[in-house]
Amino acid sequence: MRNYEIMFIVNPTVAEEEIDKINTQIEGVVTSGGGAIEKIEKMGKRRLAYEIDKHREGYYVLFVIAANGDIVKECERRLRVMDPVIKYITVRTDEEARRLEKIRNYRQKRAARRNTGAKAAPAQSIEEAMQ
Amino acid sequence: MKSGKEKRPAGQKQYYRRKKVCKFCVERIDVINYKDVKLLSQFVPERAKIMPRRISGVCSRHQRQLNDAIKKARNIALLSFATE
Repeated sequence: MRNYEIMFIVNPTVAEEEIDKINTQIEGVVTSGGGAIEKIEKMGKRRLAYEIDKHREGYYVLFVIAANGDIVKECERRLRVMDPVIKYITVRTDEEARRLEKIRNYRQKRAARRNTGAKAAPAQSIEEAMQ
Repeated sequence: MKSGKEKRPAGQKQYYRRKKVCKFCVERIDVINYKDVKLLSQFVPERAKIMPRRISGVCSRHQRQLNDAIKKARNIALLSFATE
């Protein structure tokens, strides 16, 4: 299982129910294939940075899922077929998350070491002063 | 060791180039997310080109991550490829 983010842009002129329909469809694909949905975020209407198929605005939706490659493939196929979906992108996030965790751990360890070092240092200086 | 300051002949103007530091190292930004348009747009000036390292001062590791993030953001129309 890997973690992915699927972000897609829906035609802003379609109704909200239509977007919900797309979402449930994608959700169905993921859950029926044995994946898990972590988050569905409707990011709302945004201006597109460039024109896509004559659209200047788009409705962004973000899915955060845990799934395997086949499920992602199927999701992408569905998105490609659906007419209101203008564009989509899939990003794998688990490798990045693992790297982040490693950095956090390292940093914590270092902070802990520094704290103990700071405590030890004054004690030593007192000893020196006594001598 | 002699410092550069002493060597310089009198009257010559001194330039202090401010040492550039990597924003991501200093602010401890670990992950450069493609969805963070506010952050990314700091590194794409008007022409929508990616700012070179020699100007922004970003370290090579973070520049690589930044490039990836900007390219992803462009793909999904959060950032533009070029200004019209």
